Parts: sequence; structure tokens; C-alpha cells
Amino acid sequence: MKPRFIALCLMGALCLAGTVLCTACSSLGVKPWQRDLLSRRDMQPGGSRLDDAIDEHMYFSKEASSGGRSFGGGGCGCN
Amino acid sequence: MQLESGGVNLRGKLIAASCALLGSAPVAHAQTHDVVDTINRALADWQLDGAVAYYHENGRIQAVEPVINAGHELANGGQLDFNFTFDALSGSSPNGALTSRQVQTFASPSAKSFAQARHLYTTGSGSLPVDPNYSDARVAGGAGWTVPLSRLMRATLGGKFSYEDDFYSATVSAGLERDFNDKNTTVSVGVNSENDFLQPIGGAPAPRSDYTLFEKGGHETKHGLGVLAGVTQVMSRNWITLANVSVDRFSGYLNDPYKIVSIVDASGSPAGYVYENRPDSRTRRSVYWENRVGWAQGSVTADARYMTDNWGIRSETAELRLRWWLPGRDQYLEPSARWYRQNAADFFHPWIADSAPVPADLSADFRLAAFHALTYGFKYGCKLTDHLGRFGRDTTEFNIRLEYYEQSLRGNPAAPAASSGLDLYPKLQAFLLQVGFSY
Amino acid sequence: MRFIRAIPLLFFCLAVGATAAGEPAAPELSSLHGKVVYLDFWASWCAPCRQSFPWMNELQKRYADRGLTVIAVNVDHERADAEKFLRKLPPAFQIRFDPDGDLARRFDVHGMPTSVVLDRSGKARYTHIGFRNADAAQYEQQIQQLLAEH
Repeated sequence: MKPRFIALCLMGALCLAGTVLCTACSSLGVKPWQRDLLSRRDMQPGGSRLDDAIDEHMYFSKEASSGGRSFGGGGCGCN
Repeated sequence: MQLESGGVNLRGKLIAASCALLGSAPVAHAQTHDVVDTINRALADWQLDGAVAYYHENGRIQAVEPVINAGHELANGGQLDFNFTFDALSGSSPNGALTSRQVQTFASPSAKSFAQARHLYTTGSGSLPVDPNYSDARVAGGAGWTVPLSRLMRATLGGKFSYEDDFYSATVSAGLERDFNDKNTTVSVGVNSENDFLQPIGGAPAPRSDYTLFEKGGHETKHGLGVLAGVTQVMSRNWITLANVSVDRFSGYLNDPYKIVSIVDASGSPAGYVYENRPDSRTRRSVYWENRVGWAQGSVTADARYMTDNWGIRSETAELRLRWWLPGRDQYLEPSARWYRQNAADFFHPWIADSAPVPADLSADFRLAAFHALTYGFKYGCKLTDHLGRFGRDTTEFNIRLEYYEQSLRGNPAAPAASSGLDLYPKLQAFLLQVGFSY
Repeated sequence: MRFIRAIPLLFFCLAVGATAAGEPAAPELSSLHGKVVYLDFWASWCAPCRQSFPWMNELQKRYADRGLTVIAVNVDHERADAEKFLRKLPPAFQIRFDPDGDLARRFDVHGMPTSVVLDRSGKARYTHIGFRNADAAQYEQQIQQLLAEH
């Protein structure tokens, strides 16, 4: 594994861990009734799934990288 | 589009019915049981998105691709997603040989020898060698099932397949998601396993074998395993961020069975061709970060991805998308831009010299070359919520999208003497036109 | 148990709210006393609310004469969004507007939608986070049980 990638991964992991820890202080985030904008389709990770799938097919056939994206969370947080 | 015409025919009746329901005073009423109501109720838990995309490369491939996505919310809070796509490709596809001043003759994948004239094609002087009879039809589909394990945890199971006449692929995936902090934080993990079965037209060629010997036969397989971990974090009422790390490893037959590499002599003229060969395993790692910032009139999405693999390829991707709602919030404009850069694979050889032994791994496929690419896109969408009577929902929409993609190869090996001055790495230019409808 | 502490505060606010100019954020005190209250926090952007509204309509109709009051508290940022929703799903029950989320905060809402069922003495007896048609029967049983109490 190239050192540069390991460094990036570590940074990424620290950012993720830091984010999760910070949120325990509940200074990050919103109250459940404040998710009006987040519930909009264009604000949801995965909200443009169909366009992304068509684009991915185009890029997959022309480039060496593909994927890496995935979606979970966000949205209205209902139920 | 059956549904749409049904809505238009009943329009007058619907407008009268909905006008009767307007008013702020609470009214106890019985639902009218007309056709539209029945359809609306049956589709209440469904989200449908469909589109047809037309892709056209300058002087090369064109493709038509209809896609349909259907999402169904289950009574227990779970979700079922289905997608189906079909695409038909045709045109010219580069075969990997080097552009030369000499006229070159090649055999189609289905040819068994150079004696069958109808299976041969010729590339003129100074032109990029392409197989002009490339055509393929592909059918692909997938399904996903989200199972709520508790209010804050979900499991996902998925499968997808792809079928072409020379390639079949089947993938299964599983994942887990857990919410924290009143659903402000979501952590997800997933794994997937892919199995591909290749049955190249004319048979799989013996890697690195002499092109003129037609040493072809049989089928091949490859297998991939991937894992992904991600965190989504709501930062504020307007901003959500998400980060992913993923690793995947493919092993087996990773070659393109139709691609060759030119062997050039001392002067640089073509002296022969060999079939390419790639390592039999590829491990890729990528980091992805996405941000969405929204306000009443629109939103901005910005994301970046960094990928490396053990073939020596490193790539960076950055995308920006702006959603702008026009006054009245019925229509939107969505310009977008994407910048991409990759460097060449360790074994990328647009040509090899006949004076040296053929490398263990070699490929002249431009997908493995060094290039940067730009995409400019523009999308227009129009909500049909109020235009289809009681038929329209919040999510009913018509949209149209146009994208321009341009790939410029840079930093690749220079031409051998005889080909100097020729454009070995022509710029790829393509556009995508897509028309879609959501219900 | 935070709900119990919230109730006196709620009644205080009811009194204040009833006399304040502009939109009161809390129902009037006099109309609540002795009734079973189904307090539902909803928003125009909350998809399950499209299912809960028809059910709450039925609920109000069925048990109004036995002393049930359904009050739906809207937490939308923009009143216009709430009104658009109400035009599509006209309510047979009271609507209150809480755009700053004061009432939502007081009732410690942890998800959307949230419903709090108060008994005849004003005590919060059940809290439900989320709404599913499959759970409606159970909610109705709980309400019947509270209505039976005097």
C-alpha cells in the first residue's frame, strides 16, 4: 500500500471518528423537526440515483475508476 | 405513459373534485372512488423513475439506454428497490493498435483467419485503428431490499445482473446501517461479491499471443469482492456531509479479449500485433467525500473521490452540481461540472519495440492511459404536481439532461519515429442526452 | 418522565398563549381538561404524515363524542408548506403551528412524526415515534383504554 494512500485513509478515519465523537456533544446536527431541507430529494445522498447510474455506466466504459460511492442516512429521518 | 394519458382525460372531473375539497375548514368527507383515486392509492407506496439516454461519441460509439427504477415502501418500514436497463451500442471501438502511416488490416473477433475477407476491416493511413462493426446489446437489472431491524438500524440485501452475448455478471451485496444522535449520524458498512463469466466472440485469445495466429478459444471468469464503510453526518439544517472508504479486489481474467498491442520495428512501422495481457488481480482503494448544502431556492452538491490501485493507477475526481429552483418552485435548472484525472497503468504500452521481449503485462487500452476528462452538464426539470390534476404527486416530474464529456490524453509515451507527427491519442468527445419522467 | 414536568409548563403556556396576540402555539386550557388528547407533531415534508392524517381523521370522528381531541402541531419552517399539505389532506381535527419548535422541544420530540397521548388529567401516557399503518390498531387500543378511564 502506498504511504500516501495510507496517510489519506488515516486522515479520513480520524475525520470520521472525530465527527462521530463530536456529535455526541450534540453541537452538530439538527432537531428532528428541523429536517425540512434535508428531506428534499436533491439534498439526499442517493437522491439522483438514476442520473448517477447512467453517468457511472458512461465513466466505467471510458475510465479506469468506478464506484466508491454509496448512500445511507440523511433525508427526513422519519419513522 | 398510459398513466399520463389517463390523467389528462379525467382532468376536468379531477379539477372539479379537487376544487370542492379546498378550504381551511375541517371537513369530514368520503373519498370518491374514481379510477384516479384507485391508481393513486395503489401507487402510493411506489416511487417510479424512468429515463431514456442517448450517448454519442464523435466518430465512435453510440448507445441508446432506457432505464427504469422502482421503489416500494413496505408496511413494516422496509423498502424494495428494482431497476432495469437495456442498452444497445454500435459504432467503432479502438482495437488498441497504434496509429500509423501504413494502411493496416485487421480481423474482426469472429474471424478465424485472414482468409475470410468479410471479417476483415482496414484502417487508413494516419487514422486511429478502430473496429467499425462494434455492436452490443446489454440487459441489466437489480433489486435491493432494506429490512428495518429496529427504529435506528437497517440491513440491506441486494443483487444485480448484467447480460450481453459475450459477458454475464451477477453480484450480491449485503449491508448494515445504524443511526445515532437522533438520526444526525448514520454509519454504514457493506460487502459485495461479483462473479463474471466471459465468453468472447471467437473465443478468448491466448494472452500475448501473435495476433495472426488466431490462438483463440474457450471462456473465462473473474471474481470480485468489495467492502465499503461510510459515515453520513447532518452538520446543520442546510448541510449534510458524507464520507466513504472502499476497497475491492478483482481476480481472474481481467483482460479485454478484443484488444491488441502493436509491435513496431526499428523505424517505428508496425511489424505485428499481440493480444494484450493484464495482471490477474487488481486491488483498488478509494476515498469519497460528498457535501450537500441547501436553502429554499436550491442546493449545491460537491464531491470528490481519490482512488488508487495496484496497477499503478491513481485518479482524482471532483464534481459540482447546482440545483436552482425557478420562482414558483415548479421548475429547476441544474448545471453541473466534473473534473477527472488519472495516470497510466504500469503496464500501459501503446506500442512495444520488436527488439525487446514482450512484457509480461501489456495493454494499449486508452482506458488505462493517462488523461484528464471534463464533463459539463445541464439539466432542466419541471414538476408536474399541479399539471396532472389529482394525479400529480410531489415527486411527479419531467426532466431533460444534456452532458458533454471530453477526454484529453496527456503524458503518454511518445510516438515511435515512423508515426511521429500523427495524433496517437485523439481527444474523445461525447455527449449524452437524457429525457426522464418521475412519478 | 420529562413529559410530566412539561405538563404544568404546557398549561402555563396555554394560558399565556390563549391571551397572546397572534397564533397561539398551544391549545386552550379549558377545552383540554377532562379530554383524552392525541397530540401529533407533523410537517409537510414528513412522508409518514400522509398516512397518519387520514387515520387521525377517522380517530377524531369515531371518538369525539367519547372525549377524544386530536391536535396536530405543525413544525414547518414556512406556513405555506403546511397549508399546501392541509389542502391535499384536509384535517377533521385542530391544527396548531409551532414553527420555532418550542412545543416540540418541550415534549422532547425525537423523531418525526411523534405523537403524545395525554389522559384526562393531562398526564402523558404514551409516546410514539414514527407512524406506520400497521401500528395504528395498537394506538387505537391505547386510546380506548384511556377513554375508559374517568
